[in-house]
Amino acid sequence: MTDPVLSVRGLSVTLHRDGVPNQVLSDVSFDVMPRGITALVGESGSGKSTIGLATQGLLAPDAAPLVTGSIRLAGAEVVGASAADLLHLRQKRVRMVPQDPLSALNPVMRVGRQLREGAGPGQRPEEWLPRVGLPDTARILAAWPHELSGGQRQRVLIAMAMMSGAPLIVADEPTTALDVTVQAQILRLLRQLANDQGTAVLFVTHDLGVASELADRIVVLYGGRIAEHGAATPVLTAPRHPYSRALLAARFDLAAIRTRPLPVTAGDPPGPAALRVGCAFAPRCDWALDLCRAEAPPLAAPDDAGTRVACHRTEEVQSAVASHGPDWPVVPEQTEAALHLTDVSLAFGALQVLRGITLSVRKGESVALVGISGSGKSTILRVVAGLLQPMSGQVTVKGGQPQMVFQDAMSSLTPWLTVGEQLMERLRPLRLPKPEASARAQQALAQVGLPPETARALPRELSGGQAQRVAVARAIVVPPAVLLCDEPISAMDVSLAAQTLNLLGQLRRQLGMAMLFVTHDLAAARIIADRIVVLDRGRIVEDGPSEEVAARPLYGQAREWIAATPQWRMGARP
Amino acid sequence: MRAAWRRMRAAERIALVMLAMITLVALLAPWLTPYDPFIRVDEPFLPPSWPHPFGLDEIGRDLLSRVILGVRLTWLPGLSIIVISLVIGALVGLVAGAMGGWVDMVLSRLTDLFLVLPSTLIALAVVAALGPGLINTLIAIVIFWWPWYARITRAEIVAQAARPHVEAARLSGVGGVRLLWRYLLPGALPTLLVTATLDVANVVLILSLFSFLGLGLPAPAPELGAMTARTLENLTVQWWLPIMPAAVIFVLCLAANLAGDGLRSAMRGV
Repeated sequence: MTDPVLSVRGLSVTLHRDGVPNQVLSDVSFDVMPRGITALVGESGSGKSTIGLATQGLLAPDAAPLVTGSIRLAGAEVVGASAADLLHLRQKRVRMVPQDPLSALNPVMRVGRQLREGAGPGQRPEEWLPRVGLPDTARILAAWPHELSGGQRQRVLIAMAMMSGAPLIVADEPTTALDVTVQAQILRLLRQLANDQGTAVLFVTHDLGVASELADRIVVLYGGRIAEHGAATPVLTAPRHPYSRALLAARFDLAAIRTRPLPVTAGDPPGPAALRVGCAFAPRCDWALDLCRAEAPPLAAPDDAGTRVACHRTEEVQSAVASHGPDWPVVPEQTEAALHLTDVSLAFGALQVLRGITLSVRKGESVALVGISGSGKSTILRVVAGLLQPMSGQVTVKGGQPQMVFQDAMSSLTPWLTVGEQLMERLRPLRLPKPEASARAQQALAQVGLPPETARALPRELSGGQAQRVAVARAIVVPPAVLLCDEPISAMDVSLAAQTLNLLGQLRRQLGMAMLFVTHDLAAARIIADRIVVLDRGRIVEDGPSEEVAARPLYGQAREWIAATPQWRMGARP
Repeated sequence: MRAAWRRMRAAERIALVMLAMITLVALLAPWLTPYDPFIRVDEPFLPPSWPHPFGLDEIGRDLLSRVILGVRLTWLPGLSIIVISLVIGALVGLVAGAMGGWVDMVLSRLTDLFLVLPSTLIALAVVAALGPGLINTLIAIVIFWWPWYARITRAEIVAQAARPHVEAARLSGVGGVRLLWRYLLPGALPTLLVTATLDVANVVLILSLFSFLGLGLPAPAPELGAMTARTLENLTVQWWLPIMPAAVIFVLCLAANLAGDGLRSAMRGV
């Protein structure tokens, strides 16, 4: 049996923020074999990125990291290694493919020089670029980073990592910043190169779909502990930890059932480990017993399939049958338009962003606008919201100012005003007496599933999911006739995205709002919308019932997406 | 508040406390001086000793008492200059940044006009026209000090206005003065305050320069800059005469600079 490239044993990491210690990893152990791709899967705050950084000895020094346990990288110990040794390790034994390819490249150095700088002996960029799918070698080598597309940059970085001849590559969400089509190509490339070069890959992701396409082993992390760890197929087909089950169930693709809410795990990610007793997942777990709340379950010995699970109730969980809630209530269709755009055009200087958009949304109808970046979908929202004036054409909105849920909920909240103050801002024109206004704010918070205390919180005290709920609460505290959603789930992990889709689906039916939902995720569009409108370079190229558009798209762009949207794929891998 | 305090380094906390103490000394100066700073108490040029820790000056006045009063005469005007400039600059910048269009155009060009005037020359002209004195010196310095804050405020406001939370507020129906006051100004404030604290040192130095040139307070007043300047020739013989007030200026500037850094760390979250 060959030795593992990476062997993590009993790894615990405590980071400090403003002098307050926070244990982000406890007792994590796993191996990565040569040629193997191991996916670290978990939501934000699960500690997955910390493992990736610790492997390279790159934990931020101002967080005063306290590391115990052992990380052996191709035989060398990383924990406690000197700065000089770590530098050597990072040159020879481990390379990183980062999340944001633009900021990882030096903007004032040509690509060729950057590639040569980190190359291992005898490695030539001219030979490597074609292998990562960049046959136009001379042009790429002479280019500046800003002249390349996102996908090209990520390919360059992969080439850079591979050229070092390092036995391990750490890829931290390398595809989240890219369009779906490009995403799929990059994943295929990583898989193929790992095979050809015998390189091991530690792949950090929040997306089980991505993990399922790529990884042969999966480590599911929750609250800094391993929840489940094993070969990809058993973990993904028969998960035994309630959290893995929940992650799987929350995943939606083009085949997800759209007539009822997506199955989700309620609640928020766990808080600081120090305050925690028992299993971190217990507060969100349907199976939790008193035992779970009192005592954290250890990681059990491998079962027949080689999977290790940390759960007191593995048997019951595995045999349980998935349940689902009732269907969405049927809302009678209305014929009256809530929103109408006639021949709307807009240009920023020489750039034509919208070309003759004519679009009508009925009362209570949900319409998804899909298209790649730059297709004009967000611009339409901003025109409808009145944040941009069209150069020609007419915009008619019924029922007052439309409200908007922004892509980054946190930055759409004013940092120095409490949640309550921000909700009340929308009630001001109604001139309600103060107690009544704050009752309305409380009610809106309850509608999005937040406790009343949230009203007194400042945005920075909220988690990402809570911030998103607050943003929705602000939009519906006075229900608008039209709700605009600007890619509200694009930066979210799977369970949060599913929760948000459910929430919006429920509220629009309950409050009779028309909804215009911008996304580049066709699967999400199909679930949230009655109708999908496909945009390409400022034109509407397709408009039809969502099931139909998603099933047999007529337009090339949409078809490409379907091929690229991560599907639930088991076993059959290149 | 607690979290903000924790985010600061130890040196920055000490600096903030020191700045607070200096301000306290400035406010309470008339009651803190051990001797009357204007009359002779002993032989001239007595070196520092237990009853007179800073020594005596050229006509036998207690130097410690004069320096304590000097803190008041240097620090309070310095602070006023900063505060007045800040108010004028923030107001101009806020209106320019928020209104845009021709208002922005006019105010920005006006700001530029003040910026391009040679500052020392203007100050000299103002003092020459109005006569030397504390108030006139203040006016002279404020005239070339506020445009910097106007510039910073305007840039910050323009940047703030594009932030999603301001757009969200607009969609919530917030506009006009309320938008300015509640959403735009607080966003610009951290940058503005930090810049202002860093400027404290500059203002104190400029005030000293004015006194040095004889444009500040008239001779008997124990302004720190003036004291240092007047007694510089004694440095090799009666070193304490220039060194003591100069050391206090040094401490004041250092504390203000560090406190500015401290504020910057404290407001990182905003």
